[in-house]
Amino acid sequence: MSAAENKKLIEKIYAGTASRDGALFVQSLADDASWCVTGQNKWSRTFKGKQSVLNDLQGHFQSLLVERSRTVAHRFIADGDWVVVEARGDNMTKTGVRYGNEYCMVFRLTNGKIVEIREYCDSALVERALKDFPASRIPTPD
Amino acid sequence: MNSIENKKLMEEIFAGLANRNGTLLVERMSDDFRWINIGTNKWSGTFDGKEAVLRDLLAPLRARLVERSRTVAHRFIAEGDYVVVEARGDNATRAGKPYNNEYCFVFRLSDGKIKEVKEYADTALVDAVLGDPAEALTG
Repeated sequence: MSAAENKKLIEKIYAGTASRDGALFVQSLADDASWCVTGQNKWSRTFKGKQSVLNDLQGHFQSLLVERSRTVAHRFIADGDWVVVEARGDNMTKTGVRYGNEYCMVFRLTNGKIVEIREYCDSALVERALKDFPASRIPTPD
Repeated sequence: MNSIENKKLMEEIFAGLANRNGTLLVERMSDDFRWINIGTNKWSGTFDGKEAVLRDLLAPLRARLVERSRTVAHRFIAEGDYVVVEARGDNATRAGKPYNNEYCFVFRLSDGKIKEVKEYADTALVDAVLGDPAEALTG
């Protein structure tokens, strides 16, 4: 797919996430997709494979929130296989903390599927609002 | 300039930054250049104008580090006026701590000049290693 087609798909995915609907995101993840939370903070690691992304990373994140997460994109930059999205979260944790992080998400696509995600965000806010990433959700090494 | 020229300029700028040379970066900042750091730590916020960026952001950062900063880019993604750069820092502070942040910079260019950059980085690491910029130049 061209950069323009990749961008269109990611725009559609974020039209969903702005309404707390992650169905197209889940559907568009390749089975071997990886999600890297960049940095050296308590959530930083690479989740490898669609199941790990959904069960470990997303599973824990969604379990902390009052509703399914809402993420609103405000810029899309596409070049070749890559689409970059700048976005803001609009969420509330079950402990009553407003959680509105700022994200820069770097997606790599192949044949209409997301194969790689690299997430950059305010990790100090992650640690404050979401606390440690639990050991029980840390994927076991290959 | 088109996205290919913008990308080429950013590649040249980061070739310098990988060798601790920020000359081309500074040269290509427009006078009304704006640098935005995400988050809520003491380095977060908007630095408005080339002078403010150099004085209030880059000078305190330089004061924190043993050498001029080194930043190594590993990906450039360009469309229209925007160039996104993923990069890693390779630095040490005068207090003896490594400072190797991971960055995603979103640059906006116009007529061969950089008008704006938004920096996404590991803000928890900034808090832990860089402290307060106001104290960097005095302490």
